[in-house]
Parts: sequence; structure tokens; C-alpha cells
Amino acid sequence: MSTAVALPTRPASRGASLRRELGLVAWQVRYEQRAFWRNRARSFFAFLFPIMFLVVFASLFSGHKLPGGGGISYNDFFVPGILAYGVIMTTFVNIAVSTAILRDDGVLKRMQGTPLPRWAYLAGRIGSAILITLAMTAVTLAFGSLAYGVRIPTTTLPGFALALALGTACFTTLGVGIVRFIGNAEAAPPIVNIAILPLTFISGIWFANQEMPHWLREIAQLFPVHALADAFQYAFDPRTVGLGIRVSDLKTLSIWLAVGVFLMIRFLRQPLGEGG
Amino acid sequence: MNNAIEVTNLSKRYGDLEAVRGVGFDVAAGEVFCLLGPNGAGKTSIVEILEGYRSRSDGSVSVLGMDPADGQRELRERVGIVLQSCGVQPDLSVAELLEMYGRYHRTRRPIDELIELVELDAKRDTRAKDLSGGQRRRLDLALALVGDPDLVFLDEPTTGFDPAARRHAWTTIRALCELGKTIFLTTHFMDEAQFLAHRVAVMREGRIVAAGRPEELGGRELRPTEIRFGLPPSRTLADLPELPAETVALEGDRVLVKSHEGVLATQRITAWALEQGIELEHFTVAQPSLEDVYLELTGERTEVTA
Repeated sequence: MSTAVALPTRPASRGASLRRELGLVAWQVRYEQRAFWRNRARSFFAFLFPIMFLVVFASLFSGHKLPGGGGISYNDFFVPGILAYGVIMTTFVNIAVSTAILRDDGVLKRMQGTPLPRWAYLAGRIGSAILITLAMTAVTLAFGSLAYGVRIPTTTLPGFALALALGTACFTTLGVGIVRFIGNAEAAPPIVNIAILPLTFISGIWFANQEMPHWLREIAQLFPVHALADAFQYAFDPRTVGLGIRVSDLKTLSIWLAVGVFLMIRFLRQPLGEGG
Repeated sequence: MNNAIEVTNLSKRYGDLEAVRGVGFDVAAGEVFCLLGPNGAGKTSIVEILEGYRSRSDGSVSVLGMDPADGQRELRERVGIVLQSCGVQPDLSVAELLEMYGRYHRTRRPIDELIELVELDAKRDTRAKDLSGGQRRRLDLALALVGDPDLVFLDEPTTGFDPAARRHAWTTIRALCELGKTIFLTTHFMDEAQFLAHRVAVMREGRIVAAGRPEELGGRELRPTEIRFGLPPSRTLADLPELPAETVALEGDRVLVKSHEGVLATQRITAWALEQGIELEHFTVAQPSLEDVYLELTGERTEVTA
């Protein structure tokens, strides 16, 4: 009722309340991390799955040269590709599937009834996903370097780091954004895999796509899967000179990041109680 | 502040369906108020409007002096919610969940005290996914109380409980009431409303059809006393003495006497039985049950043919 007297809210300065909320985000990251590593199925699929692929493929093709790759070894091509796949798994797939489950189980609804702002909850989940992505990246690179002699980018590190940052942001926001197109949690794994798997095949993650029909490569280039894999592969390619920055790939990732941010904002504003 | 909740002329439409049709009520601070009604009567729509989960189509609503439609954080600081079915993060333990949800609040109750209140001491370090249904429901209650709310919403808190667990939950809810909390309860169990609520509003098809204290609901205290007994095979209705009663009828193989002078009617019947030297089987004297009143009010009474 508009006539009712508003209760006195605690007069907190803007800075103090922002600090408190950032503290809440940090705590939320911790709780999300704890839950993630405790759930073996979830952490296996998001974290170990890409590393498992790395082992399988690298063992199969160890010592081979990339066909049509100008004499670079298969591992130099494959490790960055798998890394791109890993980033997509730990961000897009992990976030979309787990958020759909949390939504269907009513956890999001419960969170909405608490004083924790929705953005802070989401920021905690995203922060946790980023930590997982960084850990997966470190393990993949260490493994690729020690076991398969892959050269870790040095001069091309800026290109690699930029692609990693942009790719993580892009697939994180898209992962949140796609949830509204997932009807129920059981449909989440098939939907995200249908969105991702065909693209990985035409984006040169599992094998070089130089010999693919031109039109198929053009389609692949529209999507961020190819952009991320290509940007990583460029930074890892021993023949690359300079900073290893592939502008066209970063541009594609930026466009998809904008799409992801737009969808994520819509997700944040979507009421959870209506129509249930 | 006198009223924790004030609702005037509240309506909610979903397309063509009018789920809530001009409902109004007040809930005093410290009161246990119960919305009673069958499924689909509009209870959950009302609760979720009060909780801020749903928008209203019409009318005005004030919860702790605020409009829940504004989505104010201050309101969520002071309200505890137990939704009908609502999951928690499955991989965190009872104590961790209470700690986590506690952090969201400015003021919070000690975790140990909450665990004790809902009697989950033995399950303190058990993950939420490994709790039984009843334990999960008790965790729900503890989570709703973690921010030390002034007002607690309980939407069908004991649905799916076995009788012992329900009794248990009732004791806990009573304990909350003694802490001075205002409690807004919905249920479709008459006995629950009767046991817990100070005041009950009965809903039917989106409207409140009766409201009042459980014992006076629907003019219950004004209704005739009901006396039931079985006659031996040697006697019929015609053999009964003159009774001060509105109805004397057979209900299956029992006699049902409805009388506003219950004491006198009872005395006449028992005196007659003693005089005749016969035994009246299953002799009972009762006020019409809340269930009878409720079924009548909600139009759910179905004639039982024996």
C-alpha cells in the first residue's frame, strides 16, 4: 500500500554496501566451488573430460604431422583445439546444464526470495566457472607440455591470453543466456551438445578443417567455437610471429559476447515465479 | 505496527482464468493466520503475490508496510519463505547451507540454534541430497528462519508428511509463534488449521467464503450438536422418545440426532435406553467437525452412500 510508512533502511554509504556485496560474491564463489568439486559427475564432465580427450587423441596421433599443416606436429594443433573445447565445456556447457537444473529444482526461486541480489548470485556462479576454466587450462597446458612436448606460447602469450579471456566471457554469458531456451533440465545436455558438437567438428577442433568444403568452413567461421579454436591454434603455431593476435577471431568472439550479454541481462530480468 | 499484512480487493488473472477474485484480509503482527482451501482455490497465488514472486492484476497489498511488487531487498530481509516444493544446492551440507543463506541477511540466527529447533542435529554434516523428504522440509523451515524474519510464509508445510511428522512440525510451528513471529500458513488440512491458526480464512474458487477463529468458523458454534448411536435390532426409530431435535434420522445403520439442546436430548436418549435396558452402540456426542463445515463451505461435500 502506497500510504504505508516506509521502514527506515539502514543508512549505509554506497561504497560500504558495494563492498559488502562484493564480499557476498566472493563467498558465493567459494560455496559454488565447494559444491562443484564435491559433485563427481559434474566435475568429471566439465573438468576431466577435455583432458581425457587430450590423452586419447594425443596418444593416437603422437609423432604425426598435421596433413596440409605445413609440417607442424599434430600435437601443436590438437592441444589448443582441445583447450578450446575444454573452455566451452567448463563455461557454456557447465553453466547451462547446472543452471537449468537449479531452475527446475526451484533453487533459483529460493535464491530470489533471499536478500542476495540476483546479479550477485550470478556473479558468484560465473566467478566459480572462471576459476574452473583457469584450472582446466593450467592442467591441459601442463599435460600437453610435459607429456606431448607442446610448446607453450611465450611471445604469442598476449594473443593466447586475450582469446582465453574473451572466449571465457563469451561462452559464460552464452551459457547463462541459453537457459531460457531449455524447456527442462533433462533436455539441457542434448540441447547444449546439439549447439556445440557439430560446430566442433567443422571448426577444426578434432581434425584440421582445411580439406572441408568451402561453404562448410564459411558457416563454421560465423560461430565462436571456430573463432576460439582458431585463435588458440594461431597462438600455438610455431610459425606464428608477433603477439599471436588474430583480430578476425577476436572480432567474432566479441560479437558473440555482445549476444551473450544481451541474453544474460534478459535472464536476470526474467521473473521466476510467474506461471508456475 | 499492528498489521503485518493488509490485503484489499486483491485479484489475479491468468489469461481468462480468474484465480483470485477480490480478496481482502488483514493479518495482525504475532498472529498465525491460515488460508484454508482445496487445491486450485487460489491459495498459492495469494501467497506468492505476498512473497513478491507473482504480480497482482488488481487490488492493494502491504506486507510489513511494503509493497512486495516493488521487490525491495528490505522486505526479503524481514520475511522467511517456505515454498511448496523448492530445492536447495544438493551438494552442500545442512550446516553449510544455513551458513550460506545466513550470509545473505543483515541479521541472522545462530546456526546451532536453528539446527536444534528443527531437530537436524544428527544430520548437521549430511548433504542436502541425502536427506529424507521430511528432513528436507525441516531444512526448508530452518532456512526460512535463518535471517531472523518477522514474518514467515509456510505454503502447505506438512503436505506429504506422515501423521507423526505432522504433529512434530506443528510443535515446531507453535514454537515459532512463541518467538513472536507472524505466521502466514496455507493448508488443505482442516486439523492443521484448527491446531495452529488463530484465524482461518476458507477459500473457494478464488474467493474467501468464510473467515474467523477455527471454533466459530461458518457459525460452527451455533450449529446443532450431533448425537449418534446404533439401535439394537429389536428397536426402530419409532420407538425413540420425544426429543428436542431438528432431525432424527438414520445414517447408515446409526441414528443421527441433531439438536440445539444437546444436553437435554442426550439425557432423554440415555434415560430411555436405561429404562428399556438396552445398550446403545457407538454412542457419540459431537459438535459438527471443522471438516464438515469446511466441506460445506468449499462445496466439496459428496454424498456418501452406505
